[in-house]
Amino acid sequence: MSDTQWPTYEVFIQDRPERPYRNAGSVHAVDPEMAVLNARTVFVRRPACHSLWVVPAASILARTAEELEDSLPDVTDENVPEETYHVFRKTNQRRGITYVDQAGEVEASSPEAALRAALEAFPERPVYVWWVFQASAITATGEEDIDSLFAPAREKTYRQQSQYRTTL
Amino acid sequence: MNELTLDPALRQPLADRLLALADDEMLLGHRNSEWTGHAPILEEDIAIANLAQDEMGHASLWYGAHGALTGSDADQLVFFRDASEYRNCQLTALPKGDWAFTLMRQYLFDAAELCWLERLKRSEYQPIADIAAKVEREEAYHYRHSSAWIRRLGLGTEESKQRCQTALDELWAYALQLFVPLPGDSALVEAGITPDLRRLQSVWEGRVRPYLITSGLAVPLETTAAATSRQDHLPHLAELLAEMQEVARKDPEAQW
Repeated sequence: MSDTQWPTYEVFIQDRPERPYRNAGSVHAVDPEMAVLNARTVFVRRPACHSLWVVPAASILARTAEELEDSLPDVTDENVPEETYHVFRKTNQRRGITYVDQAGEVEASSPEAALRAALEAFPERPVYVWWVFQASAITATGEEDIDSLFAPAREKTYRQQSQYRTTL
Repeated sequence: MNELTLDPALRQPLADRLLALADDEMLLGHRNSEWTGHAPILEEDIAIANLAQDEMGHASLWYGAHGALTGSDADQLVFFRDASEYRNCQLTALPKGDWAFTLMRQYLFDAAELCWLERLKRSEYQPIADIAAKVEREEAYHYRHSSAWIRRLGLGTEESKQRCQTALDELWAYALQLFVPLPGDSALVEAGITPDLRRLQSVWEGRVRPYLITSGLAVPLETTAAATSRQDHLPHLAELLAEMQEVARKDPEAQW
């Protein structure tokens, strides 16, 4: 049987301007534009959101600390121009905190080289999981989307659990 | 102007128009809610339930404006009127059909609603202008969602295109009913409260025709609305109401 599932996109949310992006989970979609709409639908109905990124899961290089203990990813020595990679990491294992947070950016010529650069550029430990992906893999919402995609959710107080009315 | 300063001669026409706006949103919301748990993928299941809730939210704003004008109660209007008393157009009560049918109806309606709201924001009747400004932000997302689907279905596979075209052929004449004036509308237009529907229809067609064509679809040739009165209903409406009103009518005194 052929796989009819649509590609997976990882969703990153920035809840306020200037704050780091945080992975919220993933959605399936046929293309980035639909991924943005699905991400909004699934992850921004209640919480505040200022900006949202979707990134094809296939374009993310992910490694756990354990995997990196065994071996660092091989970097092929090709003459490729450097570009910007975003670095996300999971630094906390507390219950409920499952996702990776934005650490910063590195310049590199491949995902593997970006991961190696990230290990040096962000020396704080522990880090349990590393994710790197090209800046060019991101589809982002803009300022112009805030009003229609995110602002209405703030007024929907009936979606808050505290607003549910129950009778005994 | 508002409820207090409105020309008394305009009260009935305005109440009729507000009820029509509210009923359309309410029934479309209910039809969309029928997909909950049945949509083609999880993400769309959440999206369509969200959309259903939004449309019902818009309905409650219009029922609220109707209530401020006439003293009506939204729950009474929604749960205790019979089909003959509803003032929706047939478009919004049609059974949900397949996914293409639901999305095509939503697209045609969203485009019409956006045209309405752009004009209603400038309504001389302040409560309408306030509601329109509030609803428009959300409606821009609805339009983005339904139009994105139409393009992908229209330009997708042979089957998705076929289903989408069939839906459009079936829905076009029903959609035109959105632009049939109520008997009292001309007085409202004259007072700057609601837009001229003939002009609104041409704005709507200017928006949807090119979009449908570039989505690989052929726009039907009909130019006549499926029904000209909002008092003419298909049997679907009574069936919908039987389900939607069942619980409320079991115990009319219940406190919610």
